[in-house]
Amino acid sequence: MPEKFDWLKDEMKDFKTLSKLPIILKFLKGRVKGPDDITKCTLCPNMCRNACPVGIVDGSETTSPSGKSKIGFLLRENVLEKNKENVFPLYMCLSCGCCEKYCPFDFSVSDILRPIKTNAVDKGIIQDELKEVLKNLEKYGYPYGKLKTNEKAESKIKNKKQKILYLSGCSFRENFPGVILKALKLFEKLGHNVEIISEEKCCGIPAYHIGDMKTFKKLAKENTKIINDFNPEIIVTSCPSCTYSYKNLYRESGFEINAPVFHITEFLKDNISDFKMKSGKNMDFTFHDPCKLVHGLKQPNIFSEFLEKILNNDVKKPWRNGENTFCCGYGGSSICRINPKLGDEIAYERLKELADFSNNIITTCPSCKLAFENAKKTIDKEVNIYDIIEFIDLLSDK
Amino acid sequence: MILLSLKKGFDEKNFNKIIENLENQIGKNKVSKKISDLLSYSYDYWPISLHWILEKNFHFKPSAIIWPTTKEDVKKVIQICSKEKIPVYPFGGGTGVLGALSPEKKGIIIDLKKIRNIKINSENLLVECGAGVNGHYLESYLNSKGLILRNIPQSLYPSTVGGWVGTKATGQFSTRYGGIEQMVAGLEIVVPPGKILTLKPQPRTSTGPDLRHFFIGSEGTLGIITKIWLKIWPKPEKCIKLAFVSETIKEAIDSVKNIMQTGARPAVVRIYDKIETKRHFYKYEEVYGHVSTVIIIEGNSKIVDAEIKIIKEKFQGKQINEDIVEHWLKTRFNVKEASEFVPMGVVFDTIEVAVGWDKAIYLYENVIKSMKQIKGVIFASAHASHFYPQGICFYFTFAGIPPRGEKAVDFYNKVWKAAMDSTVESGGTISHHHGIGRQKMPWLKDEIGSEGLDLLRKLKKCMDEKDIMNPGNMGV
Repeated sequence: MPEKFDWLKDEMKDFKTLSKLPIILKFLKGRVKGPDDITKCTLCPNMCRNACPVGIVDGSETTSPSGKSKIGFLLRENVLEKNKENVFPLYMCLSCGCCEKYCPFDFSVSDILRPIKTNAVDKGIIQDELKEVLKNLEKYGYPYGKLKTNEKAESKIKNKKQKILYLSGCSFRENFPGVILKALKLFEKLGHNVEIISEEKCCGIPAYHIGDMKTFKKLAKENTKIINDFNPEIIVTSCPSCTYSYKNLYRESGFEINAPVFHITEFLKDNISDFKMKSGKNMDFTFHDPCKLVHGLKQPNIFSEFLEKILNNDVKKPWRNGENTFCCGYGGSSICRINPKLGDEIAYERLKELADFSNNIITTCPSCKLAFENAKKTIDKEVNIYDIIEFIDLLSDK
Repeated sequence: MILLSLKKGFDEKNFNKIIENLENQIGKNKVSKKISDLLSYSYDYWPISLHWILEKNFHFKPSAIIWPTTKEDVKKVIQICSKEKIPVYPFGGGTGVLGALSPEKKGIIIDLKKIRNIKINSENLLVECGAGVNGHYLESYLNSKGLILRNIPQSLYPSTVGGWVGTKATGQFSTRYGGIEQMVAGLEIVVPPGKILTLKPQPRTSTGPDLRHFFIGSEGTLGIITKIWLKIWPKPEKCIKLAFVSETIKEAIDSVKNIMQTGARPAVVRIYDKIETKRHFYKYEEVYGHVSTVIIIEGNSKIVDAEIKIIKEKFQGKQINEDIVEHWLKTRFNVKEASEFVPMGVVFDTIEVAVGWDKAIYLYENVIKSMKQIKGVIFASAHASHFYPQGICFYFTFAGIPPRGEKAVDFYNKVWKAAMDSTVESGGTISHHHGIGRQKMPWLKDEIGSEGLDLLRKLKKCMDEKDIMNPGNMGV
């Protein structure tokens, strides 16, 4: 069978005198690497714009996916001076990975931009709102300030099915601590021995997204030791970004968590088989797939499959679901801090779309819940937002 | 054909004050003069500009960017720019390939992407959408409601509806559903010196010259389209894929002519010449080195069945299995080769022209031969992608490396001149769906004659007295 570029090699036979041909021929034969990722993304006409919530809602070329790469390229090539204003567009990324599906090179723009961000951070070029986050992470290991402990949520369950370490994540602790108690109750109902770390620190993903790799690695090192010292059989997190961080990013940075890490959706899918709705609760539901579960953990359908399994026909699939999900607007740790208006506009757009399917919206990520809880004040419809834990707690007959 | 001597911009003396005034009128957050924004809007997807980006040459840099959210915002901007004689360039997805969005006289870019409301009237089969609605978003949204538009250009993912209308675009399914001009039912346009013109959607109207056609394909030279009513369809009941292999391009072209002239309307027909067959379908030995044809028929199942019968009867090639159609469907939006080869110094472009059936083969051979005569051109090839009872659109591709000592832009212009001159000489039209922009400008006169060009210029002057709307574009 002919190779991809055989036809071109044939066409090039008569042109041996042209100066640049040898390098092109070597490229065609796979002997030299082509242009680097940021150059390739810069020269693309934004073939993933349709999937990028920022590209669609912000509507600017500068913050479009390949527009951001172009800014990164111009910064790297010193066409643009490296200063806070010029670096700003690089942070208009939700790190949702929605672009990857449409990229012929399978790029995630967030990954392409990270080295440029890291270079800026190393030079001290950091947006003021992000400085605060990095300072908190460095000092307290918690993005919001002084560490909020999990003390009130101590589990009393001992010696049951599995020794589970439950990591609630900073966002739940800061915004919805009640969900953590419900999670522990659920583990208990399911017959598991669950432990929590009272001084659970941030997994470090905000520093990773911002490009502060030193702070990220510091937290990764500390957390790896603490978690491994616990010696759990499995680890379950409520935040898909935490799962992604512990499972993928730590390993990439040379830190290995010994126990397998699962997102709560993965855990529940394997542990709940006979969900029964409380009597009188015949409601319909729709759902929002969190981007880190879909694109980060590569589990595009796990959430809908789980909901369909336990809800039968009462779950209404939204128009954009699975690998076509649309980020809630609060991903990536930056936009919600340095351009909260844009984050809220994206959240509004997504929530409005979901509310067309049902007033009851289930998600499985604390950032998505927060985004929609904030956005629900602005839409002209009464909607209820549930994390998967709250949803089970509210409606399970068990 | 572009001349790189930067044209004189407008008088920027009071620009800061004017911008302040604009900010007060429409809101500060809708206006930017940041250098990162100005560089981001310096080019559209004109292939030669990819070389300029890599060379770090920004020949055209606007003075400010505006993101209106309503037609009233656009109106205010046009009013102020008319008064102050500031050039204005409407911006959609920035995927035009002929440099139509090059702010050569500086001025203000108006990016319409924040005007993106959608309203469906399923009884009348119409959709009303803001000019900034993303193409793929619109099609997917309609699909989720059991409807289709089917304007599917290769730029579907990044382009906007306003951009489609402004450039008189067409898509991969045009053989059945038509170009954008056949889909547009109504338009809302802001015209200088700041008035809103609404051309309501009607099934048909006999009310003098059709004003919609002043603006479809006007490339921002006459006004700014803010809203579009488009004709839509229910989702097709049946969809069938067919593929054929032929020994000569003439055999395949004659087959499609015979099919089109029966009244059958397949949605997609694409005939690839031998080089393009090798390029696109290298995994399929059955077609490698031959001419391949991809066909998709869709719609009401009874009509589809009849069309399949006609196509099978009329096509004078060997029918093969539908694998190459599936492959085309999977790869049809792939534009990665530009990103891979331009940094290695390769100069490329695509040129789409149309011609009547009687001159089709002559034009195809003439244009390929003319491009290949230019020193440095490595290959020139074509596929035919849009068909009519009267004729055919050829989509040519060339790629080459400028000979030692020759600038990329000079080489690029030489190949373009060869392609355009031979198209005119062969009796074809210089543009099927990319428009005119700044690259095809010199040949517009050959197309419509000096009388036609003069009339266009008079129309432009009459509608845009101060010449603020995309000045310099199309040569009008």
